[in-house]
Amino acid sequence: MKTSSLYGAIFWRRNSGAWGIMAAALLMLVLYACLFPDLLHLSGLARLSQTWFPLAAVAMAQAVIMLTGGVDLSTGPVVSVGCVLSASVIDDGALPTIGGILLVLAVGAAIGGLTGLVVSLLRLPPIIVTLATSFIWTGAALLIMPDPGGSVPDGLSNALAGDFPTPIFVIAGLVVLWKLWTLTPQGFASATFGDNPVGAFRSGVKVETVRILAYAISGVLTILAGLFLAAQTGSGDPTIGAPYTLNSITAAVLGGVAFTGGVGTMRGALAGSLLLTAIISVMFLLGISAFYQYVVQGVVILVAMTLPLLRRN
Amino acid sequence: MTREEAEAPAAAAREMARPVLSAVGVYRSFSGNPVLQDVSIAIHEGSIHALLGENGAGKSTLINILSGGLKPDAGEITVGGESHASLTPLLAQRFGIAVVHQELSLAPHLSVAENIAFGRLPRRRGLIDYPRLATEVHALFADLELDLPLATPVETLPLGTRQLVEIAKAIYRKPKLLILDEPTSSLAAVEVARLKRVMLRLRAQGIALLFISHRLEEVLELCDYVTVLKDGRRTASRPLAGADAAELVRLMVGRDPGDLFPPFESRAAGPLLVVEGLHSRRLKDVDLTLRRGEILGVGGLVGHGQENLLLSLVGAEAHRSDRMELDGRPVRISGVAAAARLGIAYVPSDRKIEGLHLPQSLHFNLILPTIRHLSRHGLRVPARERATVTDLLKRFAVRGGRAEDRVVQLSGGNQQKIAIGKWMPLEPRILLLNDPTRGVDVETKREIYLMLRRLAAAGTSTILVSSDTPELVELCDRVMVLAEGRVRVVLDHAAASEEAIVAAAIGADTRERAA
Amino acid sequence: MRLLADRRAYRFLTTPTVVILLSCVIIWGVAQLAFPGFASFGHIRYMLELSAILGIVAGGQTVVVLTGGIDLSVGAMITFAAILGPSITLLVGDSGIVSVPLLLLITAAIGGVNGLAVSALRIHPMIMTLAMATILTGVMLLASGGTAVAVHSPVVVWLANAHFAGVSISILVWLLVAVLLILLLRRTVLGVWIYAIGTSQRASELSAVNERLVHVAAYSISGFTAGLTGVLLSGVTMQGSIGIGDPYLLMSIAAVVVGGTSILGGQGGYGGTIAGSILLTTLTSLITVINLSAGGRSMLLGLLVLGLLGLYARESRRA
Repeated sequence: MKTSSLYGAIFWRRNSGAWGIMAAALLMLVLYACLFPDLLHLSGLARLSQTWFPLAAVAMAQAVIMLTGGVDLSTGPVVSVGCVLSASVIDDGALPTIGGILLVLAVGAAIGGLTGLVVSLLRLPPIIVTLATSFIWTGAALLIMPDPGGSVPDGLSNALAGDFPTPIFVIAGLVVLWKLWTLTPQGFASATFGDNPVGAFRSGVKVETVRILAYAISGVLTILAGLFLAAQTGSGDPTIGAPYTLNSITAAVLGGVAFTGGVGTMRGALAGSLLLTAIISVMFLLGISAFYQYVVQGVVILVAMTLPLLRRN
Repeated sequence: MTREEAEAPAAAAREMARPVLSAVGVYRSFSGNPVLQDVSIAIHEGSIHALLGENGAGKSTLINILSGGLKPDAGEITVGGESHASLTPLLAQRFGIAVVHQELSLAPHLSVAENIAFGRLPRRRGLIDYPRLATEVHALFADLELDLPLATPVETLPLGTRQLVEIAKAIYRKPKLLILDEPTSSLAAVEVARLKRVMLRLRAQGIALLFISHRLEEVLELCDYVTVLKDGRRTASRPLAGADAAELVRLMVGRDPGDLFPPFESRAAGPLLVVEGLHSRRLKDVDLTLRRGEILGVGGLVGHGQENLLLSLVGAEAHRSDRMELDGRPVRISGVAAAARLGIAYVPSDRKIEGLHLPQSLHFNLILPTIRHLSRHGLRVPARERATVTDLLKRFAVRGGRAEDRVVQLSGGNQQKIAIGKWMPLEPRILLLNDPTRGVDVETKREIYLMLRRLAAAGTSTILVSSDTPELVELCDRVMVLAEGRVRVVLDHAAASEEAIVAAAIGADTRERAA
Repeated sequence: MRLLADRRAYRFLTTPTVVILLSCVIIWGVAQLAFPGFASFGHIRYMLELSAILGIVAGGQTVVVLTGGIDLSVGAMITFAAILGPSITLLVGDSGIVSVPLLLLITAAIGGVNGLAVSALRIHPMIMTLAMATILTGVMLLASGGTAVAVHSPVVVWLANAHFAGVSISILVWLLVAVLLILLLRRTVLGVWIYAIGTSQRASELSAVNERLVHVAAYSISGFTAGLTGVLLSGVTMQGSIGIGDPYLLMSIAAVVVGGTSILGGQGGYGGTIAGSILLTTLTSLITVINLSAGGRSMLLGLLVLGLLGLYARESRRA
């Protein structure tokens, strides 16, 4: 084996599971485009990317946590916090806007890091810790903004949720950043210690530090979804994030990320979220009532889960 | 002759005398129970030092302390010229101490190369340098005469290969001291030979090795020095020259070993189980006749279908056969419960994950397989359960805990007794054992062998899969050797020698299969 | 002899269940000082009635968690029962005597589907119950059109609101459920099997445990208790509305874990969950009395639950 192709060989093997879901997502997009050629124009693409972005962001956030072997039940409330916080602190003007965005992202990192710290200190399963913190952040969002209100600068709204598919580039940027992160030793460890914590510890990996870093990253991604929702709607809503907890898990699992940890890729999570988004959008545009969307969503994930098993037999 | 040349022998002696690692006066207790008391050990460069002792003697605790995984209550560890009261994994690594534990700690989904360098991946400008990783791993393999695929996820590799990856991982860090905790317990002959070659190479390179094994022949063959622990204390620390197996056992157990194996006698009668043309995913066209009161051994390289044979016979694996008759009547073994009803019981090789419910009590474990018999209409009968448990604990002389205690607290040998004993209330006609003495101390091995003989004399038939060839040779009426899922040969007791079994096992397999 | 009795007494007094119940009593006492009336007979009875509603759904969750799984569909199932119940009563055309058990049979069967998928298709419990919750939500929205459904069934109203000799029927129902569940877990073969599967599925299969039965039974029980909770809730509020069951999902898991049952399975029991339910209800009542905003209440509850988990729940280390 040529030495230069080691990375290629590993990369191919590790992603072999995700090709299926990426193909399915692509197929769905093709169907979408056939039914609504508007997608092939910039404005149609922009609209889809805006629907996609929040779910993509939380799917990635959830994937980061799942890679460490945990599950995050507080995703939704943190999205809500991001939304109301953004609508409160981001003001008009270039500097205040950028400053506000950085503040929101920093809060996201802090929330994530704090959660990771509690998991490490209390030695509790993440699902339990995030169960409790979901109440905390739900409350925090309501405290920041008891009723929908606030505002987001028009400039930001137009930039993120206007006629240009900005979200796609943001997602691409996030994927590149993640790829670079996993090429660093800490990043590599954070994505791989999930199903081998004992071995990682024995190999000298500072498991606790790496875990907190992963949770912080997840926090930034989650709050980014909230920020986007604020920009999209133009205001803050303290309960807007509620459905995103379960949705993020669905999308990540659909994308091949496993609960056991150490298995799964960002690409997979993105494909999963894209597939879900495409399905829901198609149904919406076809005029199928929102109620059926739930049923379809549930069935899709069941089918996705059973297919690999059938293939194995 | 210059002054340096004159002093060379003395200098060399001093070099030899200075150990890579030494520990003095180590004490450690767990919840008030003393596990190590005043233990000292010194391991020198370029030597293979054996650490012997029964299960529960304190070996695992000692190596945990030496590698920084545990802190001793008292004592001093001297390494790299410095003395410490305790070590951490990081410190141990920095001093060049590497451990290969019994429980492998590889990341299942990562490749061989990534696992080997895990935690110390080569970097270039902050990012992982994969090309350099490939070069370094190739060099490592060349040095050790190994050939493993770099990009394959380790979970797809057989256990013996995974163990080699774990060892390569330890050697990648260029240790000064390599601690091997029972590396051969689940390897078969050929893989053990490969490991021995690697160990001798490392010794030649000046690395110190601390080798823990229950297989005394290996210890006598490989090691220069031996330290023996018994009940947490050191009973001997001496060069191996001049010692023999009996003496080592005496040091470990405190009395003469007697014979490990009971005298062989065959009480085998007529056929009980007849199988023809057994096919499954791993087995091809296996024929098998098991006689009443017989101990039938199954050997061969690990992973060549032995476990699958047992799993098929107990209904835990899908299979089909041209003919399967029990007691002259055709049977279909569709599941473990069905097998139990037919009187077939299976004891897996991995007692920690498959054979026992470790966090549960002895009582729980012992009643579980036969709970239906011990209950009435689905309701439990506590009195019946208690009676059964008390009887089993006494019959098997289980030491180290009462019925309410958790099985995880017992030693390996006592745990194995529970794993086997829990099937006894079933009064099994056929007992399927998968490597029952793996990781079990000498004394318990004797007890298990005696029990098997007694059961055979009473009419129970046993199929014994084992990677320990002496077991197959001494205990069994016949030995069946599997290779690549097929029966290669069935040897009678007289013809079953270690050479014959190994020869049959590797007969057609001249190329090394690593993937 | 005296030492033995002391030791047994000490062990009893430090079991999580007892500790939690004692904490409840202490909290009642302290709260009474700050808010007179908190520990009055009427208020305690009220809190116990609320605990019953949580405790019943947490019972099914306990059984599922003991098998090493989790049921994320209980919230949707509660809402499903609350919304669908009146329709079934109308269909059957009775006072509820037949329609209520029929409803519970349906929810149990849906739970059974969860268990079957987990066992036969080997789908991870979190996924399966999540998907089921999504599907149920869709079905409910379709059936109700998004509006609340009024409750007419006399049986339902009676179950939720009536009293017998000073004790609420709902508490008696809880008592019955508790007795049955504890008997199941401690005294039956199925109970042994539940703990076995929760400890190690592989080792259980090799020990002739009927893995399929365990999963189907566990999730069916969870479906049943969730349905029963939905019936009681709809009786209390006199209507079935969308989202009525949602808070109970996280609360049921919290009650199980705070009560000392390991989220990994194989350790714990319903006694702890009963105590956990009472404690959580006590805390939510206390928080309500303190009169904070909705946000403050939620935050305080989260902090308290986190604190409790830090004290009582521990990451079980499998040997």
